[in-house]
Amino acid sequence: MKTRSFTVGRFGPRLRGLRWLLLLALFFRAGTVFAADVQAQFDAANKLYAEGKFAAAAAAYEKIVRSGAVSAALYFNDGDAELKAGHLGRAIAAYRRAALLAPRDAETRANLAFARSQVEGPTLRESHWENWLGQLTLNEWTTLTMVAFWLTFALLVLGQIRPALKPSLRAGARGAAVVTIFLGACLGWEAARQLSIKTAVVVAPKAVARSGPFDEAQQAFAVHDGAELVVRDERNGWLQVGDGATHIGWLPRDQVEVIAGG
Amino acid sequence: MLNMNVWNCGRRPVLPAAAPALMALAAAAALHAATFSAALDRDTITLGESATLSLTFEGGSPQKVPIPPSVPGLQISYVGPSSQFSFINGQVSSAVTHHFTITPQRAGHFVIPSLEAVVGGQVLRSDPVELTVLQPNQPTAAQITSGSQVAFMTLALPERTVYPGEAVVAELKVYLRDDVQNFGNFQFTSRPADGFAIGKMAQGGTERAQIGRRVYSIIPISLELTAVKTGSLSVGPFTAEATILLPSPNQGGDPFFAQFFNTGEQKQISLITERLEVRSLPLPTNDVPADFNGAIGQYTLSVSAGPTNVAVGDPITVRVQISGRGALDALVLPDQPAWRDFKVYPPTSKLETDDRLGIEGKKTFEEIVSPENTDVHELPEFSFSFFDPDTGGYRSLRQPPVPLTVRPGGAVAAPTLASARPANAQPPAPGIVPIKDRLGALAQLTPPLVARPGFLAVQSLPLLAWLAALVWRKRTDSLANNPRLRRQRRVAQLVQDGLSELRRLAGENNSEEFFATLHHLLQEQLGERLDCPALSITDAAVEEKLRPRGASEATVAALRELFQICNQARYAPIKGSQELAAVAARFERVVTELQSLKA
Repeated sequence: MKTRSFTVGRFGPRLRGLRWLLLLALFFRAGTVFAADVQAQFDAANKLYAEGKFAAAAAAYEKIVRSGAVSAALYFNDGDAELKAGHLGRAIAAYRRAALLAPRDAETRANLAFARSQVEGPTLRESHWENWLGQLTLNEWTTLTMVAFWLTFALLVLGQIRPALKPSLRAGARGAAVVTIFLGACLGWEAARQLSIKTAVVVAPKAVARSGPFDEAQQAFAVHDGAELVVRDERNGWLQVGDGATHIGWLPRDQVEVIAGG
Repeated sequence: MLNMNVWNCGRRPVLPAAAPALMALAAAAALHAATFSAALDRDTITLGESATLSLTFEGGSPQKVPIPPSVPGLQISYVGPSSQFSFINGQVSSAVTHHFTITPQRAGHFVIPSLEAVVGGQVLRSDPVELTVLQPNQPTAAQITSGSQVAFMTLALPERTVYPGEAVVAELKVYLRDDVQNFGNFQFTSRPADGFAIGKMAQGGTERAQIGRRVYSIIPISLELTAVKTGSLSVGPFTAEATILLPSPNQGGDPFFAQFFNTGEQKQISLITERLEVRSLPLPTNDVPADFNGAIGQYTLSVSAGPTNVAVGDPITVRVQISGRGALDALVLPDQPAWRDFKVYPPTSKLETDDRLGIEGKKTFEEIVSPENTDVHELPEFSFSFFDPDTGGYRSLRQPPVPLTVRPGGAVAAPTLASARPANAQPPAPGIVPIKDRLGALAQLTPPLVARPGFLAVQSLPLLAWLAALVWRKRTDSLANNPRLRRQRRVAQLVQDGLSELRRLAGENNSEEFFATLHHLLQEQLGERLDCPALSITDAAVEEKLRPRGASEATVAALRELFQICNQARYAPIKGSQELAAVAARFERVVTELQSLKA
């Protein structure tokens, strides 16, 4: 008993530290193994795509996504596979998810534009302003705004600490404030678009929007695979959607994929 | 009697917390026999207006909301349910009403047939409801010229003969009499156009014109129509509804002031246009150019290609710009049979319109072609044909061949349209960029920064820092501009340090230094209180200046005593540490009292 208590007393803290180190190492090791596993699955899905098995490739990409791993390239490839498999709506949804992660990726934007050009009938059209705002991720807009915000207040604080510098700091502080307001407005717009607006992408070959959330309700308008619609309400497995112009109707939830952002 | 009305036609229930109570009440109410009735809020409306159909269930809720069947000529949209609970003389009754909006598409008499619903296992049936939709009357020319018409709408087409695929612009005009103070909520209730596809709509600038006895404001609205079939077509009658504000007839008084202070009377109006007949002629079948692919309008063509010095398989970008008036959006490039020695990739296009309807402007195509052998010496001529509805004939536009120099080349990757991706991974598919080989950085699905409370809390730091700096600056400036305050703080610090020094000197039994310090501290403290130089302070001055400031007799006496001890110590120094410590304690008490005096 004495020996045991002596050992614990003397080496206990070291062993505890070692245990934390081991746990940390195991955590990183697990992360590395997970990444390697995902890369292997990704390569396997790419192989299916190369063999022309597009539907199988799309299913493989989606399986990786369901496992919790996401990347812009993964969504992009999923979009390509879905597009080649003839699933225009699913392709658009995947490209949009890729664009949320890598908004300035020219290849993603090009393929998304191509897929959108294939959509028939009513669909949302992105304005130039929204297109311009979408060049940055929400976190990038946040960081830019906060840098300008902190700079503004750093100059104001410096002006209080060193009053002699105030006249020379004034122009800089005003400029930084103007930039902060502009970036803040952009951030607010983009945040509202991404956090409070949801888009339904039609994934059925042809869907009928009805005037009420019932199968028996009258047909309001027809939409085709790939149509992007704003989600206005949800009730009993139905989504009330609109094309931003005159069309409003209810679509079954299983005929659309809902993604964040307008 | 208690009456509760709970609407649930919005996005969320109004009273979610009251749901259990309401359910209990509903269960109690269900003990009575259930009834089901259907009713319209109005049985006669004018085309352009809407009616509300209410399906009311008393004493129970239906298992499934009965949906009115499709009635030709009526658009039926579900609005939502509302519930009503009543307590009358201890009797509980409940009613659930499902509301539908009925919008007629044409005038006539309509019957919404009997509906069936199951309530608590009991099959209930409603009575059929009837709705009469009246055709709004178009005002006559006499009504218009007499000025009795507050508002009216007209429809005009520039031509009554069209061809399938031809885009024409219909001109709608809404006329508002000069006494209309406000005009809003304008919306079309029906836009029948048999044989036409309705395109974009654009509103022009308001004009004014004298019509008969009155001046009217005219709101022009242009509407793009594209004929989609041949034969007899028709447009209209378009119907619309709007809200206008007219001067209130009940507000009399001076007409001059009335025009400024008359709050007006709001009125809902229905507008209707005439019906126009249009003849759609088939396109001529003789002399149809071989490359005609359905383009109709008036166009010009320009073509450029480059580079012109290439190897076999190298991409050449051909830019084709078609400018003019017509259904530009539907334009596609015709096949060029003469380009058989080239591999041709699907083109991309960009549309730039000059008008709001999108029928005037230019469409630019970028088509990538690559020569397949070295026998190619030119890009053959490009031809584009269209039907000109003004002349009633076909026209062909041609661009001369572009000379090329084609060198032998190795295996060259075929171009993609969207990026310069390396071609080692996947053969490029026309139209899309092929898949990526690298997975890239795995992203964490976490909320964005702007949605994290911790991040937002940190962003308050600059503001707090600035406020702190602002307060600090104000206090520093205030101190700099107030010498008395500055002296007060300096003396307070001096006395505080001095007390420690006195205790130390008392402990060391250093009488000479102790009393010199004590005298100096007394002078400094009194000088600060009396706002005079410290060196001018004597025991005589203390009595003279301190009493008027409200110092107590005990304080003055203690000060006098301290000064006397200081004077005596020069000649008969106190030698005991305890005595010195007692003097220091007495000084501390006196100083505390002095500092509480008004400066």
